[in-house]
Amino acid sequence: MLDWTFLPLTLNQIISPQTIAYALAALGLTVHFGYSGLLNFGQAGFMSVGAYFFAITATRFGFPLWASVLAALVGSTAFAFLLGIPTLRLRADYLSIVTIAAAEIIRYTVQTPNLTALTGGSDGINGSEAGFEAINPIPDRVYKIGVQPYTNDDLWVIIVGWVLVGAAALFVWQLMRSPWGRIVKGIREDEDAVRALGKNVYSFKMQALIIGGVLGTLGAIINILPTSLQPDNYGTQTTFFLWTIMLLGGATTVLGPIIGAIIFWVVLSLSDGFIAVLSTANIVPLSQVQQGPVRFIIVGVALMLLVVFRPQGIFGKKKEAYFSA
Amino acid sequence: MPDPTPETTDSETTGTVSTGTVTDASPIVAEPIRPGVPKVDPILIADGVVRHFGGNVAVDVAHVEVPRGKITALIGPNGAGKTTFFNLLTGFDKPNSGAWTFQGHSLAGVPPHKVARRGMVRTFQLTKSLGLLSVLENMRLGATKQLGERFIPSLMPFLWSAQEKAITEKAMELLARFKLDAKADDYAASLSGGQRKLLEMARALMSDPTLVMLDEPMAGVNPALTQSLLGHILNLKREGMTVLFVEHDMHMVQTIADWVIVMAEGKVVAEGYPREVMGDPAVIDAYLGAHHDTDLGTLTGQLAVAEEVGVSGDLIEQIEGEIEAEPNLAAEPANESAVELEEEEAPGGASVDEPEEGEK
Amino acid sequence: MHATRQRPFPRAAALLAAAFAAALALALTPAAAHAATTPIDPSTAKESILVRTLDNSSPPAKPLPNIPVEISGDGYDVTTATDAKGQIEVGVPEPGDYTVTIDTSKVPSGLALPPALKASRTVTVDTGNKQVLANYIFVSASAAQQSSRPSSGATSGPSSSSTSESPSSSSSGSKFSRQIWPSIVTGLVFGLLLALASIGVSLIYGTTGLNNFAHGELVTFGGLMAYTFTRLVPLPGPVAILIALVLGGVMGYVQDLAIWRPLRRKRVALIPLMIVSIGLSLALRYLFQIIYGPGSLVMPQDSSAALSIGPVHLTGANLWAAIICIVALLLVAFLLTRTNIGKATRAVSDNRALAAASGIDVERVIRIVWTAGGALAGLGGALLAYYQTVQWNSGSLILLAIFAAVTLGGLGTTYGALVGSLVIGLFINVSAIWLPANLKFVAALIVMIVILLVRPQGILGKRDRIG
Ligand SMILES: Nc1ncnc2c1ncn2[C@@H]1O[C@H](COP(=O)(O)OP(=O)(O)OP(=O)(O)O)[C@@H](O)[C@H]1O
Ligand SMILES: [Mg+2]
Repeated sequence: MLDWTFLPLTLNQIISPQTIAYALAALGLTVHFGYSGLLNFGQAGFMSVGAYFFAITATRFGFPLWASVLAALVGSTAFAFLLGIPTLRLRADYLSIVTIAAAEIIRYTVQTPNLTALTGGSDGINGSEAGFEAINPIPDRVYKIGVQPYTNDDLWVIIVGWVLVGAAALFVWQLMRSPWGRIVKGIREDEDAVRALGKNVYSFKMQALIIGGVLGTLGAIINILPTSLQPDNYGTQTTFFLWTIMLLGGATTVLGPIIGAIIFWVVLSLSDGFIAVLSTANIVPLSQVQQGPVRFIIVGVALMLLVVFRPQGIFGKKKEAYFSA
Repeated sequence: MPDPTPETTDSETTGTVSTGTVTDASPIVAEPIRPGVPKVDPILIADGVVRHFGGNVAVDVAHVEVPRGKITALIGPNGAGKTTFFNLLTGFDKPNSGAWTFQGHSLAGVPPHKVARRGMVRTFQLTKSLGLLSVLENMRLGATKQLGERFIPSLMPFLWSAQEKAITEKAMELLARFKLDAKADDYAASLSGGQRKLLEMARALMSDPTLVMLDEPMAGVNPALTQSLLGHILNLKREGMTVLFVEHDMHMVQTIADWVIVMAEGKVVAEGYPREVMGDPAVIDAYLGAHHDTDLGTLTGQLAVAEEVGVSGDLIEQIEGEIEAEPNLAAEPANESAVELEEEEAPGGASVDEPEEGEK
Repeated sequence: MHATRQRPFPRAAALLAAAFAAALALALTPAAAHAATTPIDPSTAKESILVRTLDNSSPPAKPLPNIPVEISGDGYDVTTATDAKGQIEVGVPEPGDYTVTIDTSKVPSGLALPPALKASRTVTVDTGNKQVLANYIFVSASAAQQSSRPSSGATSGPSSSSTSESPSSSSSGSKFSRQIWPSIVTGLVFGLLLALASIGVSLIYGTTGLNNFAHGELVTFGGLMAYTFTRLVPLPGPVAILIALVLGGVMGYVQDLAIWRPLRRKRVALIPLMIVSIGLSLALRYLFQIIYGPGSLVMPQDSSAALSIGPVHLTGANLWAAIICIVALLLVAFLLTRTNIGKATRAVSDNRALAAASGIDVERVIRIVWTAGGALAGLGGALLAYYQTVQWNSGSLILLAIFAAVTLGGLGTTYGALVGSLVIGLFINVSAIWLPANLKFVAALIVMIVILLVRPQGILGKRDRIG
């Protein structure tokens, strides 16, 4: 009959590295959009730039872990400058266009045959986790959480990942209650007013772009550690997932993106599971190939409904939604 | 006023006694008055500032000087280029040509935030309150040289919490002055239009500017508060600040301005002491010649003010003549659209076929 | 926005861009240098790939000798060339996926790969498989070109990697002109196709302020309709294109009616609207995938070269596409400048409040703009399906180029969108002579960034109102 074994497994999404990665990247997006009003439609680009800098330096040049992480941060900072310099003086829409374009271009570029030696082409890069696993203090055996078994390396990523999420949340929280945060929030509301008060708006926007991008990069590193770096994981759909996550939890809160990521991935894997079960039982007329896209349709529709009917997110208060719908 | 920063407290106590009286008494000009006349002690000097929008010349100021330590009013009919001139001076817009200096330093090409840091702070005609920040946060944003605005220190609250406290005290002080202290914790979005104007002005004062530029500060503020605001502006002068403001309300201009600059069609057409400037034919031309797009309510209000302050009979006659020429104006002076409607309906009136002639 | 204040930054950006370019160049060189792994003797290897290059321009097929071949994957990388029999067997170290790339620049002129065959492709070698085939069957360039993607020829690798002599050793100048002219012509055709979509984006932006991220899906829709009505319901091409145009218009109209108008009524701000459009784009795109599958769909082909001038061969399909685009664009220009509704549209674009105040029915204008935008996109999508192929995400793949074009021309200016599209179309195609296929959009992005730095309002745009 119907196979419901996926049900307990979906709960493991709550702590999965993927959830961690998206929580971090969505937190970055919150810094961009929720707090500073920057329309970044290319967060996937920030993730992939960071991931490639990390993986390339780790596997091709043999950098130690800390140096690879540093390289990733430098990479995403440079990316932020590249995108920010031409656009941050212009209307908000320009940043959205340039970021979405740049993220796609990164994805095409790394798959260029001439770059295969460096980027691994469309196969991506394997093995960048060696340095990270080398410092794993957890004894090597199989651990079980719920029904899902974890290796010591899986656990190591999850633990470090959640510590990172906690630290990032604290960081963003402190930043946003400081005078620095006041300025970026002011910029979100009306940048000319902030300019008239003697603040260098351009510089603050750039700082916000960098900070959010760096958080995206950290997320991407967590994402590739337990698996591998796949260029097509960082297409526009990733960015749109992140927007959905951010709006789900509330764009102007620190916990929003984290809770949003958890809900998002649990719901998504639940729906994947249900659709698979229903179509195997021929209740829903979808072939194997047709099941994959369903989740994207769900996300797309959810995004539209959220932004129109609940712009403040699930938990936020209506008047805190900064674009009044 | 227990100000947190010692300098301000000083300037206030001494200001009321010495500076205030001195500046008030000091002459503004030493030459015959004419448009662009040099000032004895100018704080802001603009030269040949021109701004086109397509073929339309919005600003074309040959030479103008703003006197230090005085309250200067910039008046002129709608579309005269006052706001555009403000935008140019503060770096929010770029002129096609022109140069200007503030306290002897050129400001041409200086970006707006640097203009503000040099002590020249403006407000906007269309208020820009930051809706989703609380009123108090709006105020705190106005303070300058905050350590916590820098990225690394912002993460270490102990570095700036004392400064933040001082800023908050100062903000509450100002808010109380502007009768907004009860609203301190509300979102600025919840304020009324007039309250937003007040907030914007109070916020500009947080930075202790040298020159405050106010674009129609009183538009939409109720009369009772206007009175106390006039007092505040006079206080600013007493504290040693220079004020340049745009205003359509002639009563306010008459009451507090030391000097009036009149703009029309982008040019400075007249300057002078408030009383004299009202009699200047160029001013009357600028306003009355273009009265169809000025606030007619102001025009009649102007008559009352003119009579009150005893301006030359000529002007009163002129204004009376204007009002009589349009019978509906006298009947319903405040309703501009009604007037226009009536005008159009006037049977066989030359003004219908040839509006230009009717106006001149 | 503020020219003087900006001055130091373009320089900084130029430096950054230069650094980026240098990094790219650096990144590219080791790849070329890497092509030095010693080849594995196929007779001793457990697994091998057999590459064959054949000339099938006039059947039966003849071998094409001396075509450089690069085989890479999993740290293994060899460059060799096909032998006199037009084939070469290359041993590989272990089972897996290998990328086989041939240098098409060494192929005699007049020959090209049909679009279904890529110069660079992945070959999967299973354990113990010998002589896994990688066939490259060349046809006459005109036959290949009529359906070639804008990137055709892009895969021609850098000539430095070649080790063998080119059979047609012509001077570099004539070779260059042999490449550049076809690129310019196909670039212009692609630009015209792009313009059909860009103008819709621009009109919608102008009248509603919305940057429609779901416009690519309107293009895809047109392409899929053209496919449906030629392949699934076998109708003649022109009829299918007409149907795509009409249904595109219906789609635009329905979209406005069902989504955008209610949201305007609800006074939803522009940023949330933009987010709605990305949600819509995602949902539609994958809906298309469910219906039409993930593969690319091929339109009926017409391989005759209708027009040949020197090295330029235009197929009937491309020629017609260009003519239809020009007619459609002229019609749009005529409607905008000569008819009342066109003038009203321009008035709304110029100043919506003023237009509304002067009695223009803004809602009606917007409805018409959505319908027209959808129809143009539908037409563009159908023609694009002929120009290349069509698949569930064709529209979103060119969305980037559309946005680059619109930004280049100046957001919201109709003629700007046209000019921008031609420039981008040219750029993408001409840069493909030097750049690998995957990098073709990089050129477009770089153009866009440079334009934003020097002229933020775009080529034909106006500066923002300030204050
Ligand atoms: N960004 C702009 N683009 C085009 N024209 C403009 C722009 N800004 C101002 N103008 C024009 O310049 C002229 C001067 O406008 P400005 O706003 O400076 O007038 P003002 O004196 O402040 O009027 P008011 O008293 O009504 O505020 C007007 O004719 C206006 O239409
Ligand atoms: Mg004004």
